[in-house]
Amino acid sequence: MTREDFDDETLMAFADGELDEATSAQLETALAADDGLAARLAVFLDTRRTVADALKPLIDDEVPPRLAEAVARMVERAEGGTGPDEQTGAPDNVVALHPQRRRPEPQRWFMQVAAGLVAVVAGVAGFAIGRSTDNAAPDAHQDLAAALDGQSSGMDVPLGGGAVLHVVSTFRDERGELCREYQLTDRGNSTLTIACRRDGAWLPQLALTSQQPADGYVPASSQETIDAYLASIHAGAPLSADEERTALSGDVENITGDGE
Amino acid sequence: MIDDTRTVPQRLVAFLPNLRRFAISLCRSPELADDLVQAACERAIRSAGSFSPESRFDAWMFRILRNLWIDHLRRAKTAGPHQELDEAGDIPGPDGQVVSHARLDLLEVTAALMKLPEEQREVLVLVCVEDLSYRETAEVLSIPIGTVMSRIARARKNLARLTGIDAGDERSSGTKGGMA
Repeated sequence: MTREDFDDETLMAFADGELDEATSAQLETALAADDGLAARLAVFLDTRRTVADALKPLIDDEVPPRLAEAVARMVERAEGGTGPDEQTGAPDNVVALHPQRRRPEPQRWFMQVAAGLVAVVAGVAGFAIGRSTDNAAPDAHQDLAAALDGQSSGMDVPLGGGAVLHVVSTFRDERGELCREYQLTDRGNSTLTIACRRDGAWLPQLALTSQQPADGYVPASSQETIDAYLASIHAGAPLSADEERTALSGDVENITGDGE
Repeated sequence: MIDDTRTVPQRLVAFLPNLRRFAISLCRSPELADDLVQAACERAIRSAGSFSPESRFDAWMFRILRNLWIDHLRRAKTAGPHQELDEAGDIPGPDGQVVSHARLDLLEVTAALMKLPEEQREVLVLVCVEDLSYRETAEVLSIPIGTVMSRIARARKNLARLTGIDAGDERSSGTKGGMA
């Protein structure tokens, strides 16, 4: 009977035609006598119409020929059975999503770049974070490993000596290993790294260092390379905050259980 | 229920305009949206075996596209400074052309939409533009239906405030940072 009987969700469900009949009838009765209630309902009716009016016409846009042709080719390949097996997800069918892609054959190009960089990392930086024998900065490696073990993504973590760690995301690679993408900024250099956890240590898989202005902004080209690399290792979707917490604590416990 | 015997790749072609509309509303850039749509089509073709013909094709596709977008977004968002509010000023009209004065209010709505938090905008678009039910939206987003409802309700109240739909005289730009 009173306006408190109808919360926003109920009014909205009515506006959207999703309210059950009995409650709808009660609401209709109440609306007749309550201008305030009617005004609250109007917000939901108006916003739906307004949003629809603003965005629905987008469907009449011509699909850009570049996109239409790309999809037509994919469809033809899938239907003709000449392409990779559509059920198994052949690797050459995987794309990375990156913002400014404009080249006709982008994936292949990026894959080559990414593959080259992996080789460089394997040769030059083939150390395990946290188990490094690098005498110059053992503490820094320990700090980084500890931070990677415990810090949530999206946070800036000072590591001492002016270095700042920013963990970008956490995901699993195709073997199910826990991996993290992070950015380490130190004395004007910024290194974007993907490291995966193996036998208790974080092993860098890919590292891109660039000279950075103080704001630590990652150049788009680095991000494209990272995206291409992630696609090439079949990186899973970034874990949610909860999944990340569970995965980090679970993986670390497993490892300490092994007698680290 | 749905007696559509077309294969996933065949349906994709017809569905491109819808997919692109949803992509543009998510990522606010036609260029990025096209990349997103292309990636979603590739993934859909690859995982065509997991689509059950009796379920809704549109919801399935929206889910694929939205997951790709979230992958992209989470990395991009945590890697760099947030630019949403600044970029919101550059939203093109639906046809990407210079728009007539009569369409300014729609542009204003679009601009306001783009200022909404990601999670509010996507529910709003799925329900109010793509006409999915609350339940279908919950399935696309893998969240409880109650969460869908509270998010859309908040989104609409924020939008009403941003555009002045709620009839108040509070149309100042100072409200744009005030929403949850």
